[in-house]
Amino acid sequence: MKFETAPDVAEYVKKEIYPDGLEYVPLRENRVIVKVAPGDLTKVAELFVKKFEARLIHATAVDLELKGFEVLHIYDFSKFKDRLVVIVKAIVDKDSPEFPSIANITWQATWAEREMKELLGVKPSGMPDPRHQFLPHEWPNPVESGSIPEGYKFDGSTTAKEMYLPLRMPIEEAYQTLIPIGPYHPGVIEGQIVYVKVEGEQVVAADIKTGFHHRGIMKLIERRGYNKGAFLAERVCGICSAAHGLAYITCTENLYESEVPERALYIRTLLAELNRMHSHLLWVGVVADVIGWKTGFMLTWGLRERVMDIIEAITGNRVNYGIWRMGGVSRDVPQELAEKAKRTVDALREECAKLLLLVADHPVVKSRLIGVGPLTRAQAYDGGAVGPVARASDWKIDVRIDNPPHAIYDPKVISWEVITDDHCDTFGRTLVRVKELLVSCSIVSQCLEYLAKTTGDIRIKPKTVPLGAEAVGLNEAPRGELAYYIRASDKDSSLPHTVRIRTPSYRNNAIIPLMLVGSNLADVPVVMGSTDQCLACTDRLEVIDNRDGGRKILTWDQLVNLSRRASRW
Amino acid sequence: MVDLIFTVISLIVIVPLALFLGVIYSYLLRKLSARFQWRVGPMLRMYGDLKPLLGTTRLLQPLYDILKLYGKETIVPDVSRRRLFVYSPFLSLFFAVAAIFFIPFPGMPLLSGVPYSLIIASYLLIASILFTILGPVASGSPWAAIGARREVELFLVSELGFVLSLFAVAIARQSLVIWEISSGGQSLYLALLTVTAGALMFVAMLGKLHIKPFDMPEAEAEIVAGPYTEYSGKLLGTYYLTKVFLLYGLVALFISLFLPPIATDVLWLPLYIVAAVVLVFLLTSVQVLNPRYRIRNAINWYLKVAIPLGVLNFIIALAIWLVV
Amino acid sequence: MSTEIKILKQVLSKYSKPMTLTYPSGVAPDRRYSQIPEGLRGIPERDKDKCIGCRACYFVCSGRATSIYDKGEKRTVEIFLFRCTFCAHCQEACPEEAIKMTNKFEIAVPNREDPAARVLTELDLLKCKNCGTPYVTRKLVDRTYERLMEKIDPIVKETVSNDYKKLDGYCPDCRRAYGVDLDTHTKKYVWLEGV
Ligand code: SF4
Ligand code: SF4
Repeated sequence: MKFETAPDVAEYVKKEIYPDGLEYVPLRENRVIVKVAPGDLTKVAELFVKKFEARLIHATAVDLELKGFEVLHIYDFSKFKDRLVVIVKAIVDKDSPEFPSIANITWQATWAEREMKELLGVKPSGMPDPRHQFLPHEWPNPVESGSIPEGYKFDGSTTAKEMYLPLRMPIEEAYQTLIPIGPYHPGVIEGQIVYVKVEGEQVVAADIKTGFHHRGIMKLIERRGYNKGAFLAERVCGICSAAHGLAYITCTENLYESEVPERALYIRTLLAELNRMHSHLLWVGVVADVIGWKTGFMLTWGLRERVMDIIEAITGNRVNYGIWRMGGVSRDVPQELAEKAKRTVDALREECAKLLLLVADHPVVKSRLIGVGPLTRAQAYDGGAVGPVARASDWKIDVRIDNPPHAIYDPKVISWEVITDDHCDTFGRTLVRVKELLVSCSIVSQCLEYLAKTTGDIRIKPKTVPLGAEAVGLNEAPRGELAYYIRASDKDSSLPHTVRIRTPSYRNNAIIPLMLVGSNLADVPVVMGSTDQCLACTDRLEVIDNRDGGRKILTWDQLVNLSRRASRW
Repeated sequence: MVDLIFTVISLIVIVPLALFLGVIYSYLLRKLSARFQWRVGPMLRMYGDLKPLLGTTRLLQPLYDILKLYGKETIVPDVSRRRLFVYSPFLSLFFAVAAIFFIPFPGMPLLSGVPYSLIIASYLLIASILFTILGPVASGSPWAAIGARREVELFLVSELGFVLSLFAVAIARQSLVIWEISSGGQSLYLALLTVTAGALMFVAMLGKLHIKPFDMPEAEAEIVAGPYTEYSGKLLGTYYLTKVFLLYGLVALFISLFLPPIATDVLWLPLYIVAAVVLVFLLTSVQVLNPRYRIRNAINWYLKVAIPLGVLNFIIALAIWLVV
Repeated sequence: MSTEIKILKQVLSKYSKPMTLTYPSGVAPDRRYSQIPEGLRGIPERDKDKCIGCRACYFVCSGRATSIYDKGEKRTVEIFLFRCTFCAHCQEACPEEAIKMTNKFEIAVPNREDPAARVLTELDLLKCKNCGTPYVTRKLVDRTYERLMEKIDPIVKETVSNDYKKLDGYCPDCRRAYGVDLDTHTKKYVWLEGV
């Protein structure tokens, strides 16, 4: 199958979306670059976010050496035209890499801008929250992309201790009421700190700090090249490895005139969906464990084990499948295996349906999940929620429909639906995931049916990647939209110049503080778990204090009184 | 004189026996919940090829776990109130062991015949639990503080049920001596009381033993290890030992109060074991079928179930007293 | 309550047997490797007789697990299993199909230097007929010749073949020096001195 580009897409963008760009460059598969002056970035953001309600996929920057930094804002316009992604670009000077921040317009850009600042040393001006994202808070500010220049003075305006105080409280107060959940905490297996300030057991403010996991995979892919990159991309996350593999391959295949055989596309869908099945089962188990239900954990993980067995039989590995190749997949699914797997999956679907709906119906489970971690649709949109979190807030976004990856997700070929739910809380997220799991089961069994009936090629030799090509690859990971941006090197056709990964947890984690405020301490792990965070891929702080939020400011004594009242009830 | 010697001997015998039975009960708890969860659990009969390495049976696995803790380094935090922190586990253990002296075992009346033994036993049990709260509070860890707070709240409400059910039985049987209660006869009315007060005692036991919907003091996902966060090595081992004795003590108390003749004569021993196993089985099934409540839900639940049930018990008990 | 009972029924009815599997390589022979699926991608193994020492696997290795080094008259092709990602890239790239992924999976050894952590293949190097330096393996030279003959234009086949045979077994340096003698050489301004 070839992936087509609409011929007039650049004109379309110029005419319908943004007329005053400096230059319009169409890329493969309806991705369009719009070059603007750095000063215009805010104007564009305002227009795109407010008027078109386009989703900001990612904001990042590329180091173009002597030419300066290139600031990129990637917007999803698939609502307007099939697969349309607009990449807004502005080149800023190397000596004074300043450009206006868009985080005031759309909150979701906060983390991305902080990351940019750290990775490349560019300076978004007017950021609402200029603290470090991955680096420790006390790290010299700002970081340079190379070494710290000679004669550079550390920014002594704030002391390390003050910078640690997420909720901007006096030091004496902060240490008395803050509860650090993490970096190593049994409820959240991976490393991050969530500071919660509690009154009694009620959370009044929350803050999150990441950066305990940064492994520099993006840089590593830049060194290893396209083919070996697929294996590295898979290793960003052990649970959604298929999603990463698929997104990476989609992105690299967008760099050149790619062609992929039909059968390979089916195998890709099959794996991506099996991956989603086991990830969702894992999540249900983790939430059951977090609310203290070991049995639920064991049951779901018992089912998950069987999915893993199917994956193992198909790909030969349980975690990192290693079958993603540019132009296809490396391993065929033999017909007998497909038939056998189909029987297992069908049986599994029955059991999952029975058991998981029972789990979701359990009175204590319900009492622990309903109304916990509320997130309205407006909050989800402004915060940039993706995946099941967004869909549980009744926001119908799914990359598989909007902007499909290089696999088979065409509703005309495979029947499936996007699940949404209007509970807007953890219970909603549970229902979405459970139902999605069943949908995945049916996609898997349709794919297996196709694979059992047909034979064919699974791989086409990839063409050379043109120098300086650019591409965006999107995929719906189990946790939400996953985006890869790759820019090919100008000199070497086997190496990418820049690789940027925007993982779903990166977005969903950013809104955790929003959901935490107002909940019970016992619910903190549940809320944190409800986004299905995968810190291995996220790694990055946010302050939400609804009491300080312009409404009411409490003094220490008031707080003490309140907490006494709270513990008396 | 013979009586005295017999009592002394049986007091000496009961401690290892209670430990053994407590370990067996915890083994059952673990094994059964494992089987509910599609796991293997501690093996009763080890796989043939692993026998030389691990022994034939792992029946005493809970005991081995405790013994292992005794072999480990004990850390006492700098900020803790050292004396209270260190002594609490031992005091807790002491009171738990003291409590089981007042609860009869088939063939061994122990001290259950002394006047007011019911009150003494229940106070000793309370004291034992109190020290599982005091020690952690002295440790200075925020997690332990939250855990201890939850423990206090839970303890208050579960104690309510516990005491109500004890006294309903005491009123109906017109005695505050455990031995008298447990050697008393059965009648239809008393059987009714056994069901209602037994149910109340059962839910109180859930809270005392931190069985699943009520294990929030130890909710590891929320508050690390709760009260035991700062405890390690021998001190933690002592707490675990206390738990084993408490498990035995509560099961024994339940049987002697609510299934009267069973806990008296040595001939009832098989039935005693059966009753204990059934009780542990019930505890396990509650444990595996429920996630943990929030502390507030738990208290509401206790108040909703325990108080009306307690009042009902009292009415039944009074009726029995007045009518029979 | 009813939900709990339903769950209890589910749990007890179907799965009275535990799902836990024993470690696949237990001591008992019947349990050994019983749960390993056929297609498991485990340790890559190299067929010593097929391998020609061409380095293709070295260039594609995604985990940089493969290394090739010459020592004396031996060329060692080595896969360091601690780095191997079991991606099968080497299997795809090998021109001789010498590498096969097996379904063996136990690579844990107490020591990094343990030979069990490596897949080692030692190949004999061919010594240059002229100067005696070992350079590549005999098989690589032969296979290159074969491939060349397969692909080459029939018009020049004869000449090339003759030339090839003349300098067969010469190392690259010597071949450069003596290449002037060949029919296929351009011979524009070079002549051989003292031969
Ligand atoms: S294994 Fe194959 S690719 Fe590697 S050196 Fe030998 S022949 Fe070449
Ligand atoms: S399987 Fe992959 S990582 Fe292992 S040796 Fe082969 S190419 Fe290298």
